[in-house]
Amino acid sequence: MSRAALSLREVTVPGRLHPVSMELPPGLVVGLVGPNGSGKSTLLAVSAGLLPGVGREQNDVRWNGQAVATIPALDRGRRASWTPAEARFEFGFTVRSVVAQGRYAHGDDGAGVEEALARLDLVALAERPVNRLSGGERQRVLLARALATAAPLQLWDEPLAPLDPRHGLEVLSLARSLSRAGGTVVFSLHDLRLAQELDFVVLLEGGRLRAAGAPAEVLTPKRVRAVFGVESCLRPSLCLSLP
Amino acid sequence: MRASGKIRFIRHSGLALVLAGVALLVFALASLTWGDVRLGPGQLVDGLLGRDEFAATILWQIRLPRLLTGMLVGAALSGSGLVMQVYFNNSLASPGLLGVSAGSAAGAVVAIGSGLATFTLLTVPIFAIAGALAATFGVILLARRGASTERLLLAGVAINALLGAVTSYVLSAPTVSYERNAQLVFWLIGGLEDRTWEHIWMAAPIVPAVLLLLPMGRSMDLLSLGATEAQSLGVDVPRLRRNLLGLSTILTALATAVAGTVGFVGLIVPHILRLLVGSEHRRLVPLSLIGGAAFVVGCDLLGRCAGGARLGVVTSLVGAPFFLWLLRRAER
Repeated sequence: MSRAALSLREVTVPGRLHPVSMELPPGLVVGLVGPNGSGKSTLLAVSAGLLPGVGREQNDVRWNGQAVATIPALDRGRRASWTPAEARFEFGFTVRSVVAQGRYAHGDDGAGVEEALARLDLVALAERPVNRLSGGERQRVLLARALATAAPLQLWDEPLAPLDPRHGLEVLSLARSLSRAGGTVVFSLHDLRLAQELDFVVLLEGGRLRAAGAPAEVLTPKRVRAVFGVESCLRPSLCLSLP
Repeated sequence: MRASGKIRFIRHSGLALVLAGVALLVFALASLTWGDVRLGPGQLVDGLLGRDEFAATILWQIRLPRLLTGMLVGAALSGSGLVMQVYFNNSLASPGLLGVSAGSAAGAVVAIGSGLATFTLLTVPIFAIAGALAATFGVILLARRGASTERLLLAGVAINALLGAVTSYVLSAPTVSYERNAQLVFWLIGGLEDRTWEHIWMAAPIVPAVLLLLPMGRSMDLLSLGATEAQSLGVDVPRLRRNLLGLSTILTALATAVAGTVGFVGLIVPHILRLLVGSEHRRLVPLSLIGGAAFVVGCDLLGRCAGGARLGVVTSLVGAPFFLWLLRRAER
C-alpha cells in the first residue's frame, strides 16, 4: 500500500483532465504549473475529492493510501483543505467567524483560530465583514481558514495571484513551515521563477501531466519553450525575501 | 450584494433573542385583548382559565387560534426564507418571490376546487406541499444555485405567473360553486380570519420542522459562503441541501395551507435580523423563528387596527417598499 500523502491513479475528468497519475510524498511544497486551461484547478479539486466521480474505478484518488471515496465527509474536512482561486462572499460574516469555520470538522470553534489570523496578518481585520474586503484580503481569509483546519494536506488554487509581494512571501513561508512539520502543500501558480524554488513541480499541459519532479528537471528551457512558448534562462535577477 | 453593513447594532445575541421574545409577547397579549370586544387583564386571565364564560369563548374560539396560527405561519415563513437564502446563496431569495408560496396556494386551491379537501384534514396540506415542491423544482431548473439575483428573480416571476394561472383557472372554473369560490379567494390574499383549532393541527408539523432546523446553523454558515468550500471543510453538502430544501418547502407549504399567500415575511425578517446581529446562522435561525412570529402577529394587529385589512395585504404594504430598498442597495 502506498504511503504517499496524495496519490492519483489514472484520474480522468471528461473534457478537462486526461488520465493523470502521480504520487506526492509527505513533507513537500509542490507547485502546480501550466498554461491557462491546462487543468490545474481541476486537478486540485479532484485531489481534494470535490468533483463528482471521484472514487470510481477511473478516478482513484488516495490520501495516505486511503481512497478518498471511502472517507466520510467530516473526516475529509480534517484531513485535507482546499481553497478556491477566487471567493465570492454573499453574506457579511466577520473575518474571525469565517476563519473559525475551518474548525467545523473538529467540532470546536476556537482552536488555532487566533494563530491562523495572526499568521495571515488578519488580526486588524478580524471583526470586518468579509464581503467588504479586497481580493487579496479575501484570499488571506481563505488561507487562514485552511490553516485553521490543521489538515495535513493543503490544496490551494492560485493563492499568490491576488497577494502583494510581502503577503505572498509570507504565504510561501507558511507553506514551507507546514511542509517541515510533515504536511504536504500543493498549490497552483503562474510564476515559473518562484516554482523553480519549490521542492517539487508538476507541469500540466492540455489536461495531461507533462512532467513531475524536482524543479530543475521539470522546468528545462526546452520544455518551458514547448509548453509555455517562452524562452527561459537562468541568470541573477531581483531577489525578494522576508527580512 | 452586501447583506450586512459594518455596523451591527446588537452584538450580544442573547439580548437580541430577549428583545424578539418580548416583542412577540407584547404583540401576543395585544392580539388577545384587542378587538371588537376589549378584554382587560383580569378578563384575560379569567377567560383563559375558563372562569369567565364570555371571555373564554372569545379567547378559546377566536383569538387564541388566530394568534397561534399567526405565530406558526410567521415562524415558518421566516425560517423558510432564511433557508432559501442559504440554499440559493442569494440574500434576496424568499418563498414569496420565488413562487413557492404561489405553488402552495395553487396546490391548496386544487385540493379544494376538486372537492378532495372534504375527505380529510390532511388533503389541503399535502396538496400544498406538492404544489410548493413543484414550484421549488421549477426555480431550481430555471436558476441554478448561486445564480445571479436577476436570474433568480426572473425565475420567480415565471413560476409565480404560471402557478397564479393555475389558481386563477380553478377559481374561474364554472364548476366551482359560489361557496367554494369565497373560500378560494381566501387563499389568494392570505389572512388569519376565522382560523380554528383544526387549522392549528394542520399547521402543527411546523413545530418539528422548525426544531430540525435549529441544530443546522453552523453548517448553514459554511454553505452560505460556497458549496465547494463547505464540502472541503467537512460538510456533507448534498445531504444538507436536500434537508434544507425539504424543510423550507414544507414550512412554506404548511404556512400557506392555513393562512393563504402571505408575502415578504421570509424576505424582511431574516434581512432585518441579519443587519442587527450579523450573518451567523446559529443566532439567525432561532431569532428568525421568533422574529417571524412577532412580525406576523404584529402585522395582523396592524391590519385589525386599520379596519380589518388582511394579513397578506399588510405584509405586502410593508414588504414591497422594503424589497425595493434592498434592490437599490444591492445595485450599489
